Amino acid sequence: MNAHRVTDDELHAYVDGQLAPERRLVVERWLADDPEAARRAEDYRAQAAFLHEIFDPVLREPASDPVHDLTEKLRGRIAGNDNAPSWHAKPWVRMAAAVMLVVAGAGGGWLGRGAVNNSPAVQQRQSLATFAEEASQAHRFYTSDERFQVELGADNQDELNSWLSKRVGREVFGPDLGKVGYRLIGGRSLPTDLGAGAQYMYINDQNKRITLFVGAPQAGNPSKFSFTQNGDVATFYWVEGSLAYALAGRLSKEELLGIAEAVYNDVKAGPPRRDPPPQQDQQNQPQEQQQNGVQPVSDTQKPKDS
Amino acid sequence: MSKFGVELEVHIASLRRYARALLRNNRADAEDLVQEALTRAVARSDTFKAGTNLRAWLFTILHNVHVNQVRSKAARPDEVDVDAVESKLVSPARQEERVELREMMRAVDELPEEQRKVLLLVALEGLKYEEVAEMLGVPIGTVMSRLSRAREAVRAKLSNEGSVTLRRVK
Repeated sequence: MNAHRVTDDELHAYVDGQLAPERRLVVERWLADDPEAARRAEDYRAQAAFLHEIFDPVLREPASDPVHDLTEKLRGRIAGNDNAPSWHAKPWVRMAAAVMLVVAGAGGGWLGRGAVNNSPAVQQRQSLATFAEEASQAHRFYTSDERFQVELGADNQDELNSWLSKRVGREVFGPDLGKVGYRLIGGRSLPTDLGAGAQYMYINDQNKRITLFVGAPQAGNPSKFSFTQNGDVATFYWVEGSLAYALAGRLSKEELLGIAEAVYNDVKAGPPRRDPPPQQDQQNQPQEQQQNGVQPVSDTQKPKDS
Repeated sequence: MSKFGVELEVHIASLRRYARALLRNNRADAEDLVQEALTRAVARSDTFKAGTNLRAWLFTILHNVHVNQVRSKAARPDEVDVDAVESKLVSPARQEERVELREMMRAVDELPEEQRKVLLLVALEGLKYEEVAEMLGVPIGTVMSRLSRAREAVRAKLSNEGSVTLRRVK
């Protein structure tokens, strides 16, 4: 019994994502045996979710002019002669920054992460959990305001898919969820713990929105469906092939599972092959790739220069 | 470079959120506090060492400015009117969440300031316990006990309200 003894501090650290990784299992085992402690952990989490719900809108409010000017001044002072390029002022970068912040605030996200030495397996599990966390926060964030819910609409799905594939560096696509009553409305690219990620947004007839987050993990060990609940947002996440997926929605676990299975099956079946054969895509790609200096792992490129 | 640009942007948005929560959702006061903190940060930018924790540096400055403000106001205390505070709750997203969010606001507002700060820094801003300890100039054990007391006090208040059920769906 005493071997399982967990301190009060560790319960808080567990909730706050600040627990030493080797103690995590011990705490989880304890919580499974102690309903009162499990309820406390749950309530603490709910408190954090409430705080985010109340105050995260501040992130979307424009700063006052003096604060904005001081930010610019400070940027110049601290970064020395860094004439910050204007790209950071673009709305989507601000939004991306805000999302990183939302994530950082949730359970000690990656911005605030200290240097912790973990085994690769633990690291992978953690980064996948962080990825799922990012997915649910991004869901919360981008479904909160219809003005910027998607960066690019789904009117032209080929365009959307190839744009996001370029950002992620692998071939990604928004699966067809018509069978479960959801249609794709668009997507956006976001920074994640695993590099650039793609968020696809779907909507059903009741105006209920779900998002599918796709990222490229470093080591693509296939994993089964995992589930996490973040406030009122439920998320299933898994790894399939070279990609990690996280499906988030304000739905019950069972409802979401049904959709996750539909996503899984459609992804397994592969991307939609439409009229233009793959050869045509290849001709359009190389210029972009040279500019970016990024080598996609995707199979759509051929080694032209060699 | 570019990473730095986004990072600063993120930290300042974070400061603004924290200031708003700390000052009980008073938008004007919160922006003033951030403005004064940034003014001081610009003046003391030479004390920031590149590669160190920018966020902790900014939060510490904001904390010190706030402490000074509170001290100078101590001579002429003005009571906080609970109704006025509630009317300033500008952001409840949806109708059905109003009640529980309002209860949460009230429970947090009623905490002693030292506990409220720790709860907000940890649960809202995601600061590390060590960062909070250093920022407030207290031992880490003190941070943990304030955090624990804050969370239990909020929990007790929310469960007393009856109207609020904190996700206990079986």
